[in-house]
Amino acid sequence: MIWKVIGQSVIGSSHLQNGKGCEDAGTYRVFTMPDDSEALICFASDGAGSAEYADQASAAAVSAAIEFALNLLGNGEDLTDASLLALGEHVYDRLCELADALRTPKNECSCTLLGCIILPEKAGFLQIGDGAIVRNDGYDHFTPIWWPSNGEYQNSTVFVIDDADLANLNYKVIDEPITEVALFTDGLQQLALNYESMTAHQPFFANLFPALRKAEISEHLSILTTRLSDYLSGSAISSRTDDDKTLLLATRA
Amino acid sequence: MDEYISFEQLPFGSDDFADNPESRCPCMLLLDTSGSMDGEAIRQLNEGIATFKTEVERDPLATKRVEVAVVTFGPVSFESDFQTVDNFFPKHLNASGDTPIGAAITLGIDLVNKRKQLYKQKGIGYYKPWIILITDGAPTDAFAQAIKLIHDGERESRFAFFAIGVEGANFDVLRQLSVREPLKLRGLAFREFFLWLSGSLKMVSSKNPGEHNKLLPPTGWADL
Repeated sequence: MIWKVIGQSVIGSSHLQNGKGCEDAGTYRVFTMPDDSEALICFASDGAGSAEYADQASAAAVSAAIEFALNLLGNGEDLTDASLLALGEHVYDRLCELADALRTPKNECSCTLLGCIILPEKAGFLQIGDGAIVRNDGYDHFTPIWWPSNGEYQNSTVFVIDDADLANLNYKVIDEPITEVALFTDGLQQLALNYESMTAHQPFFANLFPALRKAEISEHLSILTTRLSDYLSGSAISSRTDDDKTLLLATRA
Repeated sequence: MDEYISFEQLPFGSDDFADNPESRCPCMLLLDTSGSMDGEAIRQLNEGIATFKTEVERDPLATKRVEVAVVTFGPVSFESDFQTVDNFFPKHLNASGDTPIGAAITLGIDLVNKRKQLYKQKGIGYYKPWIILITDGAPTDAFAQAIKLIHDGERESRFAFFAIGVEGANFDVLRQLSVREPLKLRGLAFREFFLWLSGSLKMVSSKNPGEHNKLLPPTGWADL
């Protein structure tokens, strides 16, 4: 077990009140490379509150992204800016197919997408819309890869399906060995980010990662997964956000 | 203090010094869960603890200030680390085993001292910690060290130690342990005891740390 990963999506109280389901999705895979090293693939998506098929869109976006990344690694292809762009296009195409199948306008399948593919010595990151990916800079300091791209107003953002040219897609490949990463949807932005200093709120991550680092067996990970779910739906968080929230945390031994 | 904590109890996301700058009022519960507590006694104890949480939570400020930790003995087990009451989810306690009071007290005092160090590190103010021992028996282990720790701690005003004896408790031993007169629980009035405890902690935590406090009279639960 090189990569230790936990992740949960939890429904927000406003969605419960409105009788909606959870419109966030988040998934990860650990891919064993031919040389027995491990690659980590993590993606999350937040379905737009205004979109009729937000839940299906976010699930489709995440599964399309994971599928593309697994293919990329399985074929032994290099991780480059071009492959991240191709991944974004693949997700866009999949959402268009979903909209066609549902016989609905494309914007009813609006959702964000953010995620990463982390190889032993380099990592690719990708994001459209809000939410954030935060990495440990190697000195136990957590820094966001990009500041969330909200529009002018806190409640506006951009979605994968907005633009076939993916003008809003942020992507980059970093040539450094990333050891810890967290990704989360906008439901957690107010807790995990400090808007004044435009930095990650360090205590938020400092309270979560130590337990994950100590996990030694898969049973530990299932305990932490349950606790993550309790934490995300508990009063400490639900008193500060009523939105759906997804949090994925990964650390490598 | 990781050396005492099982994986399930590692702090995870709820240690909120960053978000809750209120001064803390730590309360360490040392609870007898030896075999003799089985049946009605343990049931009433569980209910009493649940009542305690509900009562403290009626007071939003006390909820942010009072921190509870639980050590049970029979055998000694660190059930839950210090948590503000909103994050305190009491586990159901079962009775079994002997009564290692000495080891439980030593652990409890050590945990209180470490908690105070943590407050200092985090720049959080705190009230004098309370350590509350509840037992229905006598120690089955050596407790000379526990007596010394309690008496030293009380003399240096590091904490206040209270001994509560349930029917069957050895009050001679409790008197040796505690500098205050031990109190005898009337019947199984755990609920009334924890109502008193929550009321007292609410009162203490509403003042400034260090301010002199008068305790509520132990009416309704103690045989004086």
